[in-house]
Parts: sequence; structure tokens; C-alpha cells
Amino acid sequence: MLKSIFKTLAPFLQSGLQLGVAFSLIGSVEAREVSIREMIASATVAKTPAEQRQIILSLKSNPSPEVVKWFDRWKSGEIFLHEDSSGVITPVVLTGAAAGDDSFATVRVSDGSPLLAVDSSAVRINPKEVEFAETDSGLRRAMREVADLAALADPDLSKRIRAIQDSAIGQKSEKLPELQLLLTTEKHPKAVRALEESIAIIQLRSPLAGERVAACERLGKLNSLAAQDTIRTILKEAEAAKDLPTAHAAKTALSAIEGHISRINAAGTVFRGISLGSVLLVVAIGLAITFGLMGIINMAHGELIALGAYTTYVIQNIFAAGLNLSPFGISISIPGMNLPAGSMGMYFVVALPASFLAAALVGLLLERAVIQFLYRRPLESLLATWGISLVLQQLLRLVFGANNVQVSSPSWLSGNWTVNDVVFGWNRVFVIGFAALIIVVTWLVLNKTSLGLLIRAVMQNRNMAACMGVRTERVNMMTFAFGCGLAGLAGAFLSQIGNVGPSLGQNYIVDAFMTVVVGGVGNILGTVISALGIGMADQSLQQYLGNPVIGKILVLGTIILFLQWRPAGIFVTRSRSLD
Amino acid sequence: MPSQPFTGRVQLPVLILAAVFLVVVMPALNAFGIIENFTLNLWGKYLCYSIMAISIDLLWGYTGLLCLGQALFFTLGGYMMGMHLMLMIGKLGQYKSELPDFMVFLGHTEIPAFWQPFYSFPFALAMVFLVPGLLSYVFGYLAFRSRIKGVYFSILTQALTYGMALLFFKNDLLMGGNNGFTDFRTLLGADLRTASTQRILYICTAVLMVAVVAGCKWLTNSRFGLIQRAIRDSENRVLFSGYATANFKLFIFVTSAMIAAFAGALYVPQVGIINPSEMTTEKSLEAVVWVALGGRGTLVGPVVGAISVNALKSWATRAYPDLWVLILGGTFVLIVMFMPKGIVGLPSQIQEIIAKIRRRSLQADPVQPAISSETADP
Amino acid sequence: MSQKPFLLAAEGLSKSFDGFKAINDLNFYLDEGELRTVIGPNGAGKTTFLDIITGRTQPDEGTLLWDDAKHDLLKLNEYEIYRLGIGRKFQTPTVFNDHTVAENLILSLAGSRGIWHSLFGKITSDQRDRIAGILTTVKLADHAHRKAGALAHGQKQWLEIGMLLAQEARLLLVDEPAAGMTDEETYRTGELLLSLAGKYTIVVIEHDMTFVRQISQGRKVTVLHQGHVLCEGPVDQVQSDERVMEVYLGRKSKAA
Repeated sequence: MLKSIFKTLAPFLQSGLQLGVAFSLIGSVEAREVSIREMIASATVAKTPAEQRQIILSLKSNPSPEVVKWFDRWKSGEIFLHEDSSGVITPVVLTGAAAGDDSFATVRVSDGSPLLAVDSSAVRINPKEVEFAETDSGLRRAMREVADLAALADPDLSKRIRAIQDSAIGQKSEKLPELQLLLTTEKHPKAVRALEESIAIIQLRSPLAGERVAACERLGKLNSLAAQDTIRTILKEAEAAKDLPTAHAAKTALSAIEGHISRINAAGTVFRGISLGSVLLVVAIGLAITFGLMGIINMAHGELIALGAYTTYVIQNIFAAGLNLSPFGISISIPGMNLPAGSMGMYFVVALPASFLAAALVGLLLERAVIQFLYRRPLESLLATWGISLVLQQLLRLVFGANNVQVSSPSWLSGNWTVNDVVFGWNRVFVIGFAALIIVVTWLVLNKTSLGLLIRAVMQNRNMAACMGVRTERVNMMTFAFGCGLAGLAGAFLSQIGNVGPSLGQNYIVDAFMTVVVGGVGNILGTVISALGIGMADQSLQQYLGNPVIGKILVLGTIILFLQWRPAGIFVTRSRSLD
Repeated sequence: MPSQPFTGRVQLPVLILAAVFLVVVMPALNAFGIIENFTLNLWGKYLCYSIMAISIDLLWGYTGLLCLGQALFFTLGGYMMGMHLMLMIGKLGQYKSELPDFMVFLGHTEIPAFWQPFYSFPFALAMVFLVPGLLSYVFGYLAFRSRIKGVYFSILTQALTYGMALLFFKNDLLMGGNNGFTDFRTLLGADLRTASTQRILYICTAVLMVAVVAGCKWLTNSRFGLIQRAIRDSENRVLFSGYATANFKLFIFVTSAMIAAFAGALYVPQVGIINPSEMTTEKSLEAVVWVALGGRGTLVGPVVGAISVNALKSWATRAYPDLWVLILGGTFVLIVMFMPKGIVGLPSQIQEIIAKIRRRSLQADPVQPAISSETADP
Repeated sequence: MSQKPFLLAAEGLSKSFDGFKAINDLNFYLDEGELRTVIGPNGAGKTTFLDIITGRTQPDEGTLLWDDAKHDLLKLNEYEIYRLGIGRKFQTPTVFNDHTVAENLILSLAGSRGIWHSLFGKITSDQRDRIAGILTTVKLADHAHRKAGALAHGQKQWLEIGMLLAQEARLLLVDEPAAGMTDEETYRTGELLLSLAGKYTIVVIEHDMTFVRQISQGRKVTVLHQGHVLCEGPVDQVQSDERVMEVYLGRKSKAA
């Protein structure tokens, strides 16, 4: 009811406003009360360039993204000046689609209402025949000033901060008043920090020595990375000019900033180390089950990882346009569901269990066909599973081709998150979260399910468990399948952070084995610690040496030396039998 | 059912006959044009592989150490010889420089100091033994000292190989990076691209192989061989019999690394190329397949295995390029599962089966289940 | 007796496995030429004690000195201890199954244990005679060229004792020699050990009290309980000791 009343009243209200605006313009009352559109409209039709500039600059008191938008339209010639028969010029913009005679409907710049001719018919104009509002360089400079200010007050925090940081470029002292004014109104701590930083950077050029010193101190306290180069320049100049207080303050500030940088690097290294460790962990956790608990050296583990990755690839394609494969000259066509891009992100949720199941199923077949005969002959199991890995790898190559396939990862994985100048990439955060999830799941399965109880019983004493009525064969089967399933999960995971190809698993298998060996066989916690330790060592060495290959080789060397000290890994399982 | 040595099965005259055929008859037939140069060259390659296979068997079949780094030692030996051959190219290379082509390509103007001594053939030959020998000594010392054995030893050698391959793939090492060494011209003044030089190289390889077989035969029949096999079956018991098993293992590890390296050094001039892809764990495992197929714990087995698998490979990679790997992998799984004694052990395995069937048919009462052999060991 | 230097002296030995004290403040002294029997219930720490002597296990604390304190056994590894003349027969027969009986003895023969010797050393006729002698002693002369793995359980035990003899050890540590043997075999094993007494110093670990009586013959018997020496003395005295009856023999005699 109320709504409908409003609707009927709206035109009257609007015209009332217009009247008011016209009045205030004439009376040149506070510009703030006039709408931005009005101001723009009046600026386009102002008589002299000076007047135009004045109106534009008056917008400084109320800078907003809308102003900038209108400036952009103006500059790109989207505002047309319609002159009616009585010579009144009205600034308009085009709207709707072109008619047969290339004409467009128009709306007023001032209030967005359709421009009507005297006979109340809508005015249509052909953009090629009507003049548009032009800009000269002075006007553009004025617009630029307002736009800069508008950016400084942008409601979007990251844009605002970017603008604040940009304002320090060139160290122009005329920007100081604006920034200082903003400092009094700005609420967000990050923006405040950026303001303080920019003000201080500009003040480095202050003619007053005291202000320069204070600016240095301020920047040192802020650990300003942006100011580092500027302070270095200031330091050089101050030294040349024998300006000792400034030089001293600059030095102190620099050392504070450098300390901050090395802390950032250390934190970054730790973070990258943890994330690499998490990758290792995800890749090795399945091995920790099959090798650590069961004593099976599964050289095909890498291929099960690749299988998981390819399963993800297939699922992704089923969600999209489908997939055509032609292994052995047979062409197989998997239809796709052609889901819209938005729901494509869901494919990963389906791909996770699917890749687990695919790898677990293959693992189950392997166990029944080959591995069950080799439980007490670890070296033979190593060789047989290597043969299997050759076969699996070649099958993947024949089915999916020798080249890498494209698995798209959710777009949010490419973002990042900055805390205290340390950048945390979402993909690495995802890696860590995924690893934590898998560890929790594995721990739950081993410790809180009846399968876990059986697994632990059989792995500790096969014969005793058999005597107590445990069907050890089944438990072996399930354990091995579980370990292989985890490899499949690792594959789904790796498909999100790297290339997917037939030899995907080969790149990780050595690291995975080392992780389990260092961790101590038969101990999940040991695997976690060793994965994180190896990841950390790898990243620190890489940071220190600046060479990934040498770093990797050193890590391998360190592992061999580590095993001198603890031959059975971090956690030792003791046994009393002679061999 | 402990694996048994089958060396006794192949009679000495047969071995001598085979040796004479390989060393004398084959090259003679080649000289008279009955065997093509290509075929002889191929056999030279097979024999190099056979020597590497023997070195694996010495470790695995006789001492129970499955080393996944034998291809590394083989390739290292090859690289040492390759360095000499690269320098012997002289100014005949593409860039007409004293420097090997890849160095010119990388912008070097001088031959690095560690390359200089390789102008001397005796030095290069010494390095063929010393470099892999030293590497295996250091690695073996650390591994055996901390009593790393069984699958752990395999995994560590795999890691060593992986690390070294990474290193050799790098250009900074100045060992040719990805592409390795190739385009060799002369060895000791003889043109490597002539049939007669290749024939001599083949004869050297065949003689070396016969010598390695004879040497290993002597070694495994000595008391050392007894200790070797004792270590394989129950290392702790050997330790409690007063033997410093680590030293014995180290000795055999270094010896077999050197044997493999020598084979690699002969391989390079015959094949004409050496690069880091020869160094990988996969290559080592492939060589283990030869031993498993031929029959481990014997000296003839590795040779039979290496020659037959590679002959099969030469044929199958051309006839069924896509399926070849499937064949290799599948065969390997079947051998590990059903033919633990390999080809050489096949006759005795068949005999056993026949004997078992006969016993069954003779006995009227139900046969007792086969006793699991593995549990017998303490 | 105590004026004589000890061949083996263990003082204050302790060893725990994950909280379980297998050996607890153990003191044990052995004279040259003794034949000592060690008894004790399961888990008393008998085998762990042998493990410590032979270097298989490192104790948490304590000292272990050899030959009038000339050597500290805790600083030596397995094969160095062996080379001092300490031989051991394991609880479960541990022989080289894939080697022939004669080869097992060859591997155990006294002499250099170096690589060079193993490659180039020849077996002398003296050694050949010695092997033949030992084969007769352990009644395996007819089986010299059979694989050790094909022997019966009792024969393997004997072969292992034969390996100790070939070693010419000063101290023989014999862990449950009678396990899995028939009564007759057990008796013969006892006879064999008795014939060796005096020539060698012998420590026998055993459960079978008949066998213990047969071989101890008034010699000292040590009773271990919870990793500690409960009492020592001739078998009769030990068997009448109340504490011993309580923890071990008491139950045993009731059962018998």
C-alpha cells in the first residue's frame, strides 16, 4: 500500500528535488547538497574552461567512485550535448539499443530521467550527428586530482590502500594536507597504517631536519618495506650533505626494516616448508600404511597417485563437456553433463571420493592377484610392484596419452592472504589443510574404527591375531586397499597444484619412501614429523643456497647421515627376534 | 625353500664352449662378413649389460643386497670414459673448438681444471674405477655402519641414484647436462666409427665378461663366498660368528660397483652416447629384471637374462612399441611370483614339480600341506 | 675362590624395554673354568642378559668386564666380543640353513675373520681333522654334506654346539640347549656339556630341572627373578630356598 503511494508520488518528489538543485546552483550554495550528476551536468555545459575546472575541483570535497565513473564517461565521449530548438543545451547519455536509423534513446546526465521534447516525445539522437562534451588537458588534470582523492576514499579497502600507497610516489609535499586530513577520518587500521607510511615517506623530503628524522623513526617503527629504497637514497644524500641526525635515523630505520625482511623471509620459508612437508605427507601417508604397517614396498604407489589424478581429470570432464579416449585403437566417448561454470567447482567434491575408490579398487586387485603371495618377502614385493608400476604407467599413457592433461583448479586457489607482509598463497593453505584433513581421517580410521583395531592387531602380530579368529587375509586386503586409496586421494590433491601426466607419481615416489623411512616404519606420527622436517629442510636449504637441485641433494645426504644416528627412523619399533 | 646355487648344473665344458664362441667365433664371423657389424655391435652392448647384471647378482643373489643404484655406477664409469672421448674429439666438433661442444654452447672458453687430466687415457681408466669405487665406498660405509639392510638399503640406493641423476641433469656440473656426451671420434688413436675398432671393443667386452664370470666363480667358491651367502641368509648369525659383516658387505659393494663401472666404460664407445637418463633407478630396476629372469644366485643366470631380455627388447620395441613396456612389466611380475629361480633354475623347478606330482600319485593318504618355507628361518 | 680373577664380572646392570625392567641391578661373577647354570621363570631376563654379554643389547647402566677386567664388553660390538672368545648358542637353533653342516663348521672355525683370509686362506689339514673330530663329537659325521636346514631340530641344536666348539671359545653361552629334544637327546646333550666342563667356561640357561640337576652336580646355580639375582648356590640348596620355591620352583614342584 505504502509502496504504491510512494510510486505515484515519486515523479513529484523528483521534480521538487530538481527545483531545489536548480535553486542551489543559482544561489551557489554548498555544492555538497547538489547531486554528483548535477555537478557533472553543469560542468559539461559551463561556459568557460576555467568555470568547468572550478566545478570539477569543487567535487574534491566529496570524492567518490561515482565521480570517477562520470569522469571516465566524459573523457571517453559518452556525454552528448543535445541542443533543442530553443537553443537549450542538455547533457545526455545514450541508453538502450540502436534503432533502424542508428539513433538511441537518451537520458539526462543530471538526473537520469528520459529527455523529452516539447511534445513530450522521447528525444532520440544519432551519436554521429550530435556533439559530445569534450575535455582539455587542464580539465583532465583537475579530474585526475579529484580521481586521486576519490581513490584515497574508495570504499573498497584494498583499492583505497593501493591509492594511499601510490600517493607517496614522487614524495610530493602538496599531497600531505590531503593525507593528513584523511588520517583524521580513516577508521580501518590497515588504511591508517598505509596513510602514516605514505605521510612519512613524503616527509623524508621535508626541508625541516626534525621532521625528516621523525619520518625515518616512524618508518622504522612501521617496518615499511615500501620506504626501504627511499630511505637508502635519503641516507646517501644525508651522508653527502653531512646531515648526521638524518643519516643516523635513516640507518636505524633501515636496520629495523632489514630485520623485518629477514623475519618475513624466515616466516615465508617456514610456511613454504610446512606446505611442502604437507605435500610429502599426503603423498607418503598411503605408503606409511602399506610399507610402514604392512612391510610391502609398493613401487606402484606413484602410479596409484597418478591414477587418482586421472580420475579427477575424468570427473572434471564428466561435469563439463565429456571426454573422448582412444586406447588400443578403440574409441571411447564419455558423455559430459555440461554443467555451467559455476557448479563446476563441485566436481572436486565428487572427485575426492572417486579417486580414493578408483585407487583402492586397483589396490584391492593387486593385493589379491600379486601381493598376498609376497607378504614375507619384501624384496620380491618391491620387484613385483615395480613390474606393476611399469604396466600401470604404460596403461595410463595408452589411455590418456603421453602428454600432460589439463585439470582446472578452483579460481580461489590462486589468491593469497597477507599478514604482516608475509604472503600466504591460498594454494599452499589448501595443501596444509588437505594434509591435516587426511591425517585426521587416517588417525580416525586407525584408532576409532573396528577396521583400525583389526589392522593394528594384525600388523603387530599376524599369527596371534589369526589365532584369535581375526580373518587376517581380509584385514590385509582392506589395509592395502586403504593405503592405495590414500594414494588416490594424494593424486586428486596433486592434480590441483601441478601437472597431471603418466609419470606424475614417479616424481614423488623417492621422497615418499624417504619420508616413511625417516619417520620410522609403522608409525604415523613419525611420518608426520619427518614429512614436515624434510619439507622444512628442503625449503630452508633452497632459500639459503638459492638452488633447488643442490638443496634436494643435500637433503638426501642429510637423510643418509640422519640414519647413521637413528637407523630405524625417528620412532623405533623394537623386536626381540634375531633377524 | 632356500634358493640354491645352480652353478653346478651348467657344466664347465659348456661354459668354456660358450666363452670361446663369444670371444673368438663371433668376431671371426664378423670379420668374414657373416655377422653384420650392427649385430656384433648390438651384442657388445648386450655383453656390457651382462657384466652389469653379474655385478647386481653378486650383491643381490649372493649377498642379499638389492642395490637400485647399479645403473648409477655403470653410468659413472661410462661418464669417466666419455670425458676422455670428448677431449679426444679435439677440434673436429661442430664448433671447431678444443672444448667439447656443450661447453662452447654454455659459453665457456677454457677447459675446466677437473677435465684437464682426462686427456690422459690411463688417468681416465683409473677414474673409471676410482670415482664409482669412492662413491660406493662412502655410501656403503655409512649405510652398512648403521646396519641399514634389506628394503631400506634398496630405498636408500634408490634415493642416491635419484639425487645423482638430478645432479647430472644440471648444466652447471659441466658434464653435458641433459644431452650428456656424444659424437665421439677416436679412442687411443683408433677411429671409433670403423668396423675394426668396434670389433676390437667387442672382443674386449667379451674377454672382460669371461674374466668377470671366472673371477666371480672363484670368489663365490672361496670361503668369502660362504660368508657372503651366510650374510644373505642370516646376517646377525654371521655377526655372532665373529665376522665384521659390514666390512664384507662394503667389500662386495665396492667390487660390484667397479665391475659395473668397467662395463659402463666399455659400453660408451660402443654405443656412442651417454646421458643422465641411463642413470635412473628405472634402469637399475630393469637390470634387476634381467637377473631375476635369468636366475639369481648363479653366474650364468644374469648373462642369460641380460641377453634374452635385451634381444627381446630390440625386437619388441620395433614390433610393438606401445605394448613393449606392458610385456616387460607383466613378465617381470610373473617371474617374481612363479619363477623365483629364473630361466637357469627352470629345469630343476620342473623336476621338483614332477617329483611332487609323482609323490602325490604314489601316496594314497592325503598329502600334508606344503610347509611354508619362509617361517623356517629365525 | 674369590682371590682368583673373574672371567666375567657384571655389576649393577639394568635394562628396560619401554618401561619394562628386563634386567634390574644385576650382579653376576663367573670364574674361569666354571659350568654355571642359570635358571629362572619366563621373563626373568635370562636371554636379555646373554644379549647384553654378546653385545646385542646395550644396558642402560652397569658395568660388564671380561678376563680380569682387561676388557670392557660394553664398549665392544658383537664381532669384537666374539673374537675375545665368547660364543653363544641361541635359544632357537640358529644355523646357516643353506650351507652344509661342514660349511657351518668352517664358518665357525677359530682363526682370522678378515676379508683377505677369507679370500685366499686355505683350510689346513689340521682344521680338516678338527672338523671331523667335532662332527663325531656332535654325532653329525654322517650328515657333513647335508644342508643344515634339512636337519632335525635336535641335530640343529647339536650343530650349533659344534659351531661353538669349532670357535674354540673360552666362554660358551648356551641358551636352552635341551629345548625341543627328546629325553635321550637331552641326556646326551648334558653328557656333552659335562665333558666340556673344565676345558671351557660354560653358562647354561635352562628350564628343564632334570637337565639342570644332571649338569650342575653340586656346581653353582644362579636363580634370576625379575632381572635380578635371587640366590646362588648348589642346586639342592637353591631348590630348598623359600623365595625360589615361591617364584619358580614351588610352582614347578607342585606341578611335578
